[in-house]
Amino acid sequence: MPEKIIDINDLCHTFSDGYIGLKAICVSIYKGEFIILAGKNGSGKTTFLRHLNGLLQSDSGQIRVKGHSVSNHLIQTRKTIGMVFQDADTQIVGDTVFDEVAFGLENLKFSRADITAKVTQALKGLSLFHLQDRTPSSLSGGEKRRLAIAGILVMDPEVIVFDEPFSNLDYPGTIQVLTTIIALNQSGHTIIIATHDIETVICEATRVIIMENGQIKEDGTPADLVKHLESYGVKEPCSSKFGLGIQPWRS
Amino acid sequence: MAQLIPFTYRPGNSLLHRLDVRLKFFTICLISMSLLSAHLPACGGYALVLVFFFKTAGLNVWETLNSMKYFMLLLFFVFMARVLTVPGDILFVFHDISISEQGIMEGGLVAFKFFLVMVTGLIFSTTTKPSSVKSAVQWFLKPVPFVPEKRVAVMISLSLGFMPVILKQAREISNAQKARCADLQKNPIKRILRLVFPLLKKTFLSADSLVLAMESRCYTDDRTDPEFTPSGNERCFFAGTVVLCLSLVCF
Repeated sequence: MPEKIIDINDLCHTFSDGYIGLKAICVSIYKGEFIILAGKNGSGKTTFLRHLNGLLQSDSGQIRVKGHSVSNHLIQTRKTIGMVFQDADTQIVGDTVFDEVAFGLENLKFSRADITAKVTQALKGLSLFHLQDRTPSSLSGGEKRRLAIAGILVMDPEVIVFDEPFSNLDYPGTIQVLTTIIALNQSGHTIIIATHDIETVICEATRVIIMENGQIKEDGTPADLVKHLESYGVKEPCSSKFGLGIQPWRS
Repeated sequence: MAQLIPFTYRPGNSLLHRLDVRLKFFTICLISMSLLSAHLPACGGYALVLVFFFKTAGLNVWETLNSMKYFMLLLFFVFMARVLTVPGDILFVFHDISISEQGIMEGGLVAFKFFLVMVTGLIFSTTTKPSSVKSAVQWFLKPVPFVPEKRVAVMISLSLGFMPVILKQAREISNAQKARCADLQKNPIKRILRLVFPLLKKTFLSADSLVLAMESRCYTDDRTDPEFTPSGNERCFFAGTVVLCLSLVCF
């Protein structure tokens, strides 16, 4: 049995205007899993992900990351669970590619020598090293998304959470990001991807969680749930529709 | 695109690129103050020094001057303000406006000094990484009581990094409005208001996302201090600057 990394119990969240974001979420996430969090817009995916990183506080219920409560161990949680946001432009803090990746390590007060070594390693790992002096705004969409991943990866997280990682990307950009995500999972990272367009990643996933109205409606393997997707407003992959089962999205 | 925008950092390995940013900051302040009391021959001599540094930094003089044409307009207004207000030997009178020889001389000298300060700043900014500027600001503010120098440095960095995002959003809003015939509105106030309100809304939303992204990467004021890497030429450069400033003040 793989190690349990995240344990969520009866998680509820209501926004200040009374809108219910999450309702009694109970789920466990294990090391090495590749999870797709599917659901139509407004189903609660982003709200759920933000709780994992301690960016939102729940009304009731608890999230435990490696046995520790998120609300009591925020820094440890954020080191364990890295989050890549939907809009790469608005999450970029540094004024060069190098500085952007170094941001998290500077917050954790790593020494300059360690920062240089770790950032260089992360940039080389994501084929961004040659761009280290460029301003992030001058990068392509795929490069920006990979830069955002590098900024998280450098903090050595065990779980990486992606919120709509393929939105606004062209085909080459999507391929770049998808290849990076698959490589991260193969190197032992637990991956959670929130998306309403699951065709791109369903072949790689080990588990699909479907959300609707702030609740988890279904939780199972892609093969078991692929035919249920459309009843929750999520498009079924073409290959499955044509009776070919789940096929890789990449040619 | 960055190549067409003045005051944008251009990577290089010249003497100016390698100098310690703190010395560059100090030098630019010293020279700007010395220029205030400089006369025309000294200003002419300093212009030749600037041409030398332009070449050293690998910048194209004419291309850079061309990119500064809008600043020339500002200098023209400065010149005209002096020409129209300084009394002296009247050269010619048009209605109630008289133009004196002293006005033209003084206006020309003031505009020339402004131009030299501007070009000095341009050489500084094109040879200095924005992150180094941020580090220098943090270093200079450190001894100032009650000023959170690390927070100020991050704010500077965010402002520099956020500018392209805001400009991109402004362009998108403007294009979306033009696509719906906003050009037909001739009242400039109404046109500006139509652009400003959606832009402000988008900017605040982006800032909100940025805050979350920073928080998820453990942002704190107590961060790793910046590192300065002197090139070894600092003493000679400082001595040269002192001689230059004395020459500007004395001649």
